[in-house]
Amino acid sequence: MVAEDSAQILRQQVRAWLQANVPVGWRQAMTNSEQAAFVQLQRQWFGKLSAAGYATPHWPSEWPGGGRSLADQKVIYEEVARADAPRLILFFVALYHAACTLLECGSDAQRQTYLPKILAGEIWCQGFSEPNAGSDLASLKTRAERRGDNYVINGQKTWSTMAQYADRCLLLARTSKAEVPQAGLTYLLVDMHAPGVTVRPIAQITGDDEFAEIFFDDVEVPIEERIGEEGEGWAVAQATLASERGLTLVELSHRMRYALPLIAAQMRDSGREQDAALRRDLGRLIARVDATCALADRYLLKRISGEEAAGDASVVKLYYATTLREFSLLGSRIAGLAGQYDRGFMRGATQETGNWPVDFINSFNWSIAGGSNEIQRNIIAERMLGMPREPRSWQMTAR
Amino acid sequence: MADDGALMIPHMNNDVRELQDSARRVLAGLGLAADEAASWPRIADLGWLMISTTEELGGLGMGLAGACALQVELGRQLATVPFLPAVLAIEALAHGALADKVQWLERLTAGEIYVAVPLADCALNVQRDSRGALLLTGTLLAVPSADNASHVLLSTLNGEHVGLVATAQPGVTVIERATWDTTRRLFDLQFDAVELEEHHIVASGSQAQALAMRLAVQRDFLLAADAVGGAAALLQMTVDYLQARTQFGRPLALFQALKHRCADLKAQTEAAEALLLDSLGREQMDSADGIASAELAGKAAKQLACAAFATVAEEALQLHGGIGMTSEHNCHLFLKRALLNEHLGRAPDSYETGIADAFLASCQPTCASIQTL
Ligand SMILES: Cc1cc2nc3c(=O)[nH]c(=O)nc-3n(C[C@H](O)[C@H](O)[C@H](O)COP(=O)(O)OP(=O)(O)OC[C@H]3O[C@@H](n4cnc5c(N)ncnc54)[C@H](O)[C@@H]3O)c2cc1C
Repeated sequence: MVAEDSAQILRQQVRAWLQANVPVGWRQAMTNSEQAAFVQLQRQWFGKLSAAGYATPHWPSEWPGGGRSLADQKVIYEEVARADAPRLILFFVALYHAACTLLECGSDAQRQTYLPKILAGEIWCQGFSEPNAGSDLASLKTRAERRGDNYVINGQKTWSTMAQYADRCLLLARTSKAEVPQAGLTYLLVDMHAPGVTVRPIAQITGDDEFAEIFFDDVEVPIEERIGEEGEGWAVAQATLASERGLTLVELSHRMRYALPLIAAQMRDSGREQDAALRRDLGRLIARVDATCALADRYLLKRISGEEAAGDASVVKLYYATTLREFSLLGSRIAGLAGQYDRGFMRGATQETGNWPVDFINSFNWSIAGGSNEIQRNIIAERMLGMPREPRSWQMTAR
Repeated sequence: MADDGALMIPHMNNDVRELQDSARRVLAGLGLAADEAASWPRIADLGWLMISTTEELGGLGMGLAGACALQVELGRQLATVPFLPAVLAIEALAHGALADKVQWLERLTAGEIYVAVPLADCALNVQRDSRGALLLTGTLLAVPSADNASHVLLSTLNGEHVGLVATAQPGVTVIERATWDTTRRLFDLQFDAVELEEHHIVASGSQAQALAMRLAVQRDFLLAADAVGGAAALLQMTVDYLQARTQFGRPLALFQALKHRCADLKAQTEAAEALLLDSLGREQMDSADGIASAELAGKAAKQLACAAFATVAEEALQLHGGIGMTSEHNCHLFLKRALLNEHLGRAPDSYETGIADAFLASCQPTCASIQTL
């Protein structure tokens, strides 16, 4: 079949390219490394990957590297995972959240301005969550006041991944106090180098500091930097979240599939390869991981054909997050006491490294960020199964 | 409600989609766990037994994916008809070497005769007598609707033969084994030196082994399809019940503790369905390598789908409360079918260990070591 041949040819090309280009020894170099080394590795790897046209397979065909079929996208993700290449986490928000939001909701001028910058290596961050607005995102308070041709931003964002390195921020801010909180939100692109922006990294429980707080103090944003109309930021934010919940998981599910040998290696290293109970657990995990890949693939196919339905992305994310948790827990269980010795952490290696306590902790990125598992369950129950929403009004009862 | 149409293979061939649509309507008309004797002629008339065979052999050419699409619908309605074993028998004959297979297939796909196939792993001892005749001894387990079968399709323990034996003959004892699942009727078939006649041998030697392997794979996929349909229908029924039932002055569906459980079940059902359809779209059993790869995919699909159905069934009974414990409510019919499904096919634990064994063997040479840290 022609399609199969062309996928086969692509596979050979990608594999050969990766063989020649994946930075040798990057895992060792990233173990307990300095931040500067991490940023340098990420920049170099992104430069190579995007120049080769493999960084943006999920983009439309008008853009370099884009227009790939599901089959071709899978080939690329599989080969990148197979070659154990670094994940582009410094560029994750730019490549997925920002690009998908611009493609879906941005103006032509905005796309022409920003997508080339992303391809050239701009780093973006997502400024949605606030100290008092997490799951209840619509209650956020960061203000954007219209003054002439600018919005003036005041407020605080938190848990913003890679914000300390970012050039630009996807900001969700309040432009009015509408009765329905969602109606008062506006979506802006903010230059992180503008006067009045302060970023403070937050130490995480792995020892890393992947996310940060952002403070906005009279930061001016030209009105051309608004995506969608004033007051329509909530709808735009849904495009961002949908890409985070569904699309990114095609790549990550295949990563998890290719990381399964870590469990096999751990069984061998722990001398428990013949353990029947563990084999049973491993078999069950493999079936779950395969199903995660099948779900993510199907999601992508539905998206391409315009058949995506409410809740589809939530199913993918919930299933991925719970499977990833099981993955790290099984590894931990096999590793035993030795797995609990602190071996530090590896920057940018994400959730499958065989350093089980860190992998386990990092699996919470997927059960908390981008809408927690509980929020995904709400969405599935309400939007897919048609179960009723919680009553809106709630008052503190007198004690 | 929102679920309708969700069990279709996206971008699946339109003919299968249409057939599945119409099957859903027909089966809804017949009702849940509809009477076997009344439904069997209906499904034969509708041509469903022709679904998987190629057009050259007079079939509809929709393959295993087509048969699974129908089995999903049959699973939804807890169908009592032995469609699953009938399809396996038809597949065996279509891929076998009987001289008069075309005539057999005509009668089988028209529903004129029914050939049963055991749904558990079992085979018979075989010995040659002084005349050189092959004599079969032993017991076949979990043979559905065997009392209506003219013949049973069986394998010999030495792997040498797959063949047909008439069920109504001296030396064959047909014993009904009532199961808790009343939507299926299973039988033991005891054989005491019964001849496997030369002209009833469907495959021999390596071909018999390949055929037996193929049938086991198809059985796994069809059982997975049955479970996917059952799980989806039962989850829907449960959500509908929670919407309708009020306690504490509100519908139960408003309680988040229950919503979240339904959402988890939805995710598991969707995952099982996605894995089944993905594998069906990908696997091709036209070579030995193809069958080996399909075998693994079938094991994963069966394991995941049957586990999901069993979990949905367990939760459904809990979420129905007392009414679910009453015999007039349908909840228990799903539960008992889900429980039985987990025990049909290969031995339950062998799915998980089989998947792991193959994986461990395959990643031996290239296996990443735990990364240097
Ligand atoms: C690693 C990481 C990276 C992140 N990166 C970013 C980023 O780049 N940009 C950004 O804007 N944000 C980011 N976040 C923030 C993330 O989106 C929020 O943490 C998340 O939405 C949860 O909000 P919260 O932390 O305030 O928890 P809360 O909303 O306070 O929730 C606490 C607990 O209550 C549960 N809960 C809350 N509401 C409900 C409900 N209605 N029903 C049932 N249970 C409920 C939650 O599930 C959770 O278990 C990141 C978070 C993490 C962990």
